Amino acid sequence: MSDEPAEAAPVPEEQLVAYLDGELAPEESRRVEEMLASDAEAQEALRWLDGTWEMLDRLDRQEADEETARSTLEMIAAAAEEEVARVRSAAPGRRARRWGLAAGALVAASLAGFLAVSWLAPGANRQLLEDLPVLENLDAYLEVDDIEFLRELNRQQVFADSTDPDAANEEN
Amino acid sequence: MVVSDSTARRYTLGDPDVRLMLEVRDDSATAFEELVLRYQGRLITVLEHLVGNRDLAEDLTQEVFLRVYRNRKTYLPGAKFSTWLFTIANNAASNALRSRSRRREVRLQTHDSARSGARAMEAVLAASSGQMPARQLDKAEMRDVVRMAVGALNERQRLAVLLSKFEELSYADIGEIMDLSPQAIKSLLARARCRLREALQPYLEHGERPAGEGNGGD
Repeated sequence: MSDEPAEAAPVPEEQLVAYLDGELAPEESRRVEEMLASDAEAQEALRWLDGTWEMLDRLDRQEADEETARSTLEMIAAAAEEEVARVRSAAPGRRARRWGLAAGALVAASLAGFLAVSWLAPGANRQLLEDLPVLENLDAYLEVDDIEFLRELNRQQVFADSTDPDAANEEN
Repeated sequence: MVVSDSTARRYTLGDPDVRLMLEVRDDSATAFEELVLRYQGRLITVLEHLVGNRDLAEDLTQEVFLRVYRNRKTYLPGAKFSTWLFTIANNAASNALRSRSRRREVRLQTHDSARSGARAMEAVLAASSGQMPARQLDKAEMRDVVRMAVGALNERQRLAVLLSKFEELSYADIGEIMDLSPQAIKSLLARARCRLREALQPYLEHGERPAGEGNGGD
């Protein structure tokens, strides 16, 4: 909201108009009345400002008119019907879009959850995969007490059908 | 617009038209009809004198009510209902006057509103000084002279005058509608009323002397 006066007006007349409009504080009104009591020119100005303002009562005023009101209400009712029809016709597409968005969000959330869990908790599966060669030959390992003997067997590719490609590569 | 609970409560309790509008927000057709009946004439009156055309004023009034209807669900009582309504009316009228002024610029390159305002004021002064031919002082003529004097004000002065005269709104309410401070409205109205006096005082003086009422302030 702008505080800048829209247009400059002589201060006494501005005060007179505000006085006529009942917009002055009691103290300001008292000052204007004191000024009016001793200033014939201000009294004259006040009288003319008031008189010409009263002349505006000559302007036409539109009385409340039921016919015009009915025409307005009919126009609004037609607009409301259009609005309802528009909402209804847009509804299936909107519903499909809403379902699509929901499904998309669900998929995205599931994916994010899976990645987060995989990243934060590698879990037991990865460990199982790493231990698979040992598990597959567990019975043979249990027969041997010496680890050096096992390493020798490995060097001779006794476990060549092992799933551990790194071990095979090492031997090569 | 953010409206505090205490402000909303104050306007809801103090203004029956705010309560009607809250019913409209809840889809009451009866309340909407009541508001149309209460305000349609008042809107047409202000808008007709603002835009200078009755048909356009009626169209704008319908547009205002359509905007009220369409915005009903977001209505919050942050002001008197009439202040809120005339703010919408002011926006609608400003848009209409702007687009009309653009059209006029295209049609008449030499036209400008300041000159037309000056011509209107000259016509008032001519009428008031007896220079018009076969001058007859009657009610119809006086109404036309007053209309011309109001029409000669600039748009902002005219709106402030109409809201003050017809709606009896305070400077603060008029300021809210026009997005100006109460002090700016005080200056605007003072200037407008001085211009009305300049236009109408000679008319009153010349018109009343023959009747011998001595209202001319000799």
